[in-house]
Amino acid sequence: MTEVGSGHKAGAANAVAGGAVVPPLVVEHVSKGYEVNGEIVPVIGDLSLTLREGEIISIVGPSGCGKTTLLNTLCGLLSPDSGRIRWHGREVTGQPQNVGYMLQKDLLLPWRTALGNAMLGLEIRGVAAAEAEDRSRAMLDQLGLHGFADHYPSTLSGGMRQRVALARTLVHEPDVLLLDEPFAALDFQSKLLIENDTASLVRQGRRSLLLITHDIEEAVSLADRVIVLSKRPTRIKAVYDIALGAERTDMIGLRQSPEFSHYVRRIWADLDVVLQ
Amino acid sequence: MARPTGASKPTPDTAARRRRRKRLRATALVLATQVAILIAFLAFWDHMTSRNSAAAFMFGSPSAIGGFLLQMARDGSLWRDLYVTGSETLLGFFVGNLVGTVIGLSLWYSRFVSRVVEPFVIAIGSIPIIALAPIIIIWFGTGLISKVAMSTLSVVIVALVTSYKGALGVDPDQINLMRTLGASKFQIFRKLVVPASLTDIFAGLKLTVGFALIGAIVGEFMSSSEGLGHAIFKAGSLYVIPKVFAALVATIALALILTFIVGKIERLLMPWRRL
Ligand SMILES: Nc1ncnc2c1ncn2[C@@H]1O[C@H](COP(=O)(O)OP(=O)(O)OP(=O)(O)O)[C@@H](O)[C@H]1O
Ligand SMILES: [Mg+2]
Repeated sequence: MTEVGSGHKAGAANAVAGGAVVPPLVVEHVSKGYEVNGEIVPVIGDLSLTLREGEIISIVGPSGCGKTTLLNTLCGLLSPDSGRIRWHGREVTGQPQNVGYMLQKDLLLPWRTALGNAMLGLEIRGVAAAEAEDRSRAMLDQLGLHGFADHYPSTLSGGMRQRVALARTLVHEPDVLLLDEPFAALDFQSKLLIENDTASLVRQGRRSLLLITHDIEEAVSLADRVIVLSKRPTRIKAVYDIALGAERTDMIGLRQSPEFSHYVRRIWADLDVVLQ
Repeated sequence: MARPTGASKPTPDTAARRRRRKRLRATALVLATQVAILIAFLAFWDHMTSRNSAAAFMFGSPSAIGGFLLQMARDGSLWRDLYVTGSETLLGFFVGNLVGTVIGLSLWYSRFVSRVVEPFVIAIGSIPIIALAPIIIIWFGTGLISKVAMSTLSVVIVALVTSYKGALGVDPDQINLMRTLGASKFQIFRKLVVPASLTDIFAGLKLTVGFALIGAIVGEFMSSSEGLGHAIFKAGSLYVIPKVFAALVATIALALILTFIVGKIERLLMPWRRL
């Protein structure tokens, strides 16, 4: 890690004896398989990774290699067959606290307005209604949805719905975000805008982000590190430290730089996609 | 694409009005066609029976049916029968759907219980309620309660199955999302499963209006001194066929009114579906 990693020690609330920072997420030798017709099909081979505070990691890998399985295992929806997952240094049973989770499907509840959907997490946590509403409104405004708070999801565009989903994910201020192809269904322009917003909200709040994506350019443009996974049973095939600086404001310009293309080409090569 | 800013409401008033008028016209066309079909049918019926007394005896005639309806309305029997059958049906509809829906939804809670219960539900659901009628009359007497019981029984399994299907149909990803937000099982049930099942529950409600009515009328057939089923049975055994049809018309009207009310409540409870 370069600039990004080293700058974080000051802001660490998690410093333990010895002054080292406990990373928000440490994965050690995790494996996971599914039982299909009485046989165990291994999906995650043996996977270890560390997500540091304030870090953005993108994960790319061939379709069906187990990325979603990995994410669901990390946030406690599935339990690993072996290995350890430590959140802020501790192994948790069930769902870890303060983790935001978002999928390609926006999963908005059709009977709730944009505001009602954004408030869902706060409501579940028992935050007082007035406070929950204020915070959710502010988050919607911040994501460019001012004036749409009272709209039902069925009256919003795909990009707007995904913004509402992002608001729902961010409003309770999780310190780690686990996103599974959150922008895959969006058109290019909406995607650039919402990627940009996500990255800046993550950086502003010193949050960490694990982003699964099929879009290599998205992976490179947002991340501090890109992890390439192998086919099933998946392992880490390659890791790239992306030295494009942490302040990436000009996303379009960035994508045209030679360094950027260099990373994209190498990751493409790693993915071993055979075009016929 | 510009970032969304401010509500996009400024649809010109005239355009909205034009669209509303277009929608109204479409509805009016549907209604007019329905009325035309009805009139043609009645005219044909009236024509075929007006010069043939045997046919008039066998099939009644619209004018004779109208006459009976008028007479029943005047002597008050129509209103009393409607009231009696209506309250039996409503009570059965209400109790059956309440019990069925509560059980159906709560089966979502436990895979164990639902698996245990499933064969029993299928078994009970396959019993023709008419076969139960004599027993029910022995148990509950010949008054209101036995008809409500019949009506409830014909509703409850359908309500149970539709609401359980609705609860099972909830997107597992949505449940996972609730879990990652820290929701307890009860919160998932209340904030996700119940509202998500409303569509299926209302489909069940609409279906069971008819079942509740059939239950009540079958009950009245077995033994009763009032109600639309009683009127149909009595007129039928006296071969007064137009009167049978008159009571049937009243029965159909009752079903339509109840269905209409359920539809209204549905729209009221699910405003997001109107959009
Ligand atoms: N519930 C399940 N039972 C059995 N096998 C499963 C289950 N879920 C996923 N799999 C299998 O596990 C493998 C990994 O699935 P997963 O959804 O994690 O892949 P992915 O990397 O997210 O794929 P994609 O890039 O297409 O989203 C796939 O081969 C899939 O068929
Ligand atoms: Mg996936």
